[in-house]
Amino acid sequence: MYYGYTGNILRVDLGTGTVSRELLELQMAEDFIGGRGLASRLLCQEFDPAADALSPENPLIFGTGPLTGTGAPATSRYVVVCKAPLTGTIACSNSGGFFGPELKFAGYDALIIQGESAEPVYLWIDNRTVQIRPAESLWGKFPTETESALRSLTHPSAKVACIGPGGENLSLLAGVVNDGYRLAARSGVGALMGKKKLKAIAVHGTGSVSLQDPQQFWKAALDMHQKITADPVSFGSFRAYGTASLVSLINEMGAYPTRNFQSDTFEGAAHTSGEALVDGILQRNRACFACPIACTRVSEVKEGPYQGRGEGPEYESIWALGALCGVADLAAVSKANFICGDYGIDTISTGATIACAMELFEKGALPEQELGFPLRFGDAAALVRAVEMTGKREGFGDVLADGSYRLAVRYGHPEFFMGAKKLEMSAYSPRVFQGMALQYATSNRGACHVRGNTVAAELYGIPRYLPPEALEQKEEMVRRPFQNSTAFVDSTGICLFTKFAITHREICALLAPATGLDFNFDRSIEQGDRIWNLERMFNLRAGFTCEDDRLPQRVSEPAVDGPRAGSRAILQEHLQTYYLLRGWDESGRPTRAKLEELGLEDWWGVCNDA
Amino acid sequence: MIEVTVTLNAGLRHYRSSLDVGEVMPLHIPSGTNLRELLTQILQIPPNQVAFPMVNGIKCALDQPLVAGDRVALWPPVAGG
Repeated sequence: MYYGYTGNILRVDLGTGTVSRELLELQMAEDFIGGRGLASRLLCQEFDPAADALSPENPLIFGTGPLTGTGAPATSRYVVVCKAPLTGTIACSNSGGFFGPELKFAGYDALIIQGESAEPVYLWIDNRTVQIRPAESLWGKFPTETESALRSLTHPSAKVACIGPGGENLSLLAGVVNDGYRLAARSGVGALMGKKKLKAIAVHGTGSVSLQDPQQFWKAALDMHQKITADPVSFGSFRAYGTASLVSLINEMGAYPTRNFQSDTFEGAAHTSGEALVDGILQRNRACFACPIACTRVSEVKEGPYQGRGEGPEYESIWALGALCGVADLAAVSKANFICGDYGIDTISTGATIACAMELFEKGALPEQELGFPLRFGDAAALVRAVEMTGKREGFGDVLADGSYRLAVRYGHPEFFMGAKKLEMSAYSPRVFQGMALQYATSNRGACHVRGNTVAAELYGIPRYLPPEALEQKEEMVRRPFQNSTAFVDSTGICLFTKFAITHREICALLAPATGLDFNFDRSIEQGDRIWNLERMFNLRAGFTCEDDRLPQRVSEPAVDGPRAGSRAILQEHLQTYYLLRGWDESGRPTRAKLEELGLEDWWGVCNDA
Repeated sequence: MIEVTVTLNAGLRHYRSSLDVGEVMPLHIPSGTNLRELLTQILQIPPNQVAFPMVNGIKCALDQPLVAGDRVALWPPVAGG
């Protein structure tokens, strides 16, 4: 009997059209939890990391956590794991909404999709009945249209994860969209779904998640609910202003990367802030499954040339499509965000790629005749046009759809790529937040903020305040309370946004009575460490080295303006200490002793004959 | 007297609801006024409502005295992702 978990892994081979079920190994669940950890472990047994990311052998794995769908606060998350088409690293993109819980209600902890279909198909999962069905009529549709059509074809309350036209045309910026608007966005996971010709997965589940000790579980869930609803961030600013409340604050600090990281202060921040969003276009909030926070913005631009409606824009999207492109028009930024949603492409990488193109154009490296129109920083109309072309792979959009790394290299200026491991950085300047500098450089999926958002410590004081410019203790802070901790949280099925109000202890207080397994605080640290190291080994086997733990030269040079003019990202001095703390050698490879400590010793041979 | 500027952000905006988003409010205050006195005596904002008191872009302690030309910006507890 399984508790918390359903005990079933669904395997679908789109090449042969076969469907099978396998039992979840409990030892694997205890070691890797679920979600990010379990799906990454499954990926490693299914696939050689050295193979091509768009090969049929690369499986697309959907994973839920043991808490997903339990009904405890914010237990909505699912992950999409594979080798990343954009970066070649391990990919784990995650999302909330209702799709993940529905997969649990249908009876599955994970879904492994292997092979490729010759024609467009969708997967229909109605509890234990699973069918691969033709999807020609859905091909080309936006996610909201796809969801609506699939509900007519399957069940009126089916939950849908799909790709937009961006995934269909193999854009390396494409994500997987669920519940109409929510993206498992980064690393190009949608391109792999498009390569498999899998338009969508529709799920209908009528089961529930069995709990080993329901009384203890609901006592812990109520305690968590009370902590979240008493917290001024979770139940205050997140509800009122969403993630966008940070725009004005990070900009005031001089830590808001602008015009492709040429500056860290944006003069148009007030026009694109969370406050401007609330006053101008917010219609209402929306919550994911069982979430008391309800941070999602439902917004609409009702007048002018940029009319549209959808969810967001979130802090990161406002930044990437706004300040990073020098655009201070909230309506245009929102329109660009809505278009990204329609085409199912990542707002961060899309905005960053257009910002890179703007710099190439302004500096004469990208001719107007190739672009088809002038693409200058601050040009709102050109931004919206470029986003639409990117989604469609139309004209120069065909180049933009492959991301900023390939764009910058193609036009002879790799130094204009602002990221690490081919993934674009996020909205916190590494010149200012020294923890983020180390995090961007060492994150297993490339320069990402949600693999270890040290801004929590460097600004909010969670778990304790370390000033952003401070260098001492940052290596240990990045390693344990952020990277390892996030790997744990991402594997449970609970949303990271609860972490402003609760800690691992509260999450373990749910996991133990949910599963009946020995989840506790000390093990959670070890589990996070194990998952991080497994991801690192995947990347090493894929060909990455310590030379890839790098940041762009630009952010290592002093900031030119703003309240922190003169500050710069300091990385090299930290890396060796970070490797040492991780139990890695001086070239960033986990030692044999470290792998044995974590039960990953099988990887020693795999990587040392690579 | 010295002149400083103040902006109120996110949930603190309701203490001056007539201000536009991001509007900079010039204030004349006695020399030597510190941040806490600015909050309690001039703005009538309880200090425990302010999580991020920023002066010229740097997070400061509430006992920091203000000087002419300082740019004060205030936030309640906020976060993002």
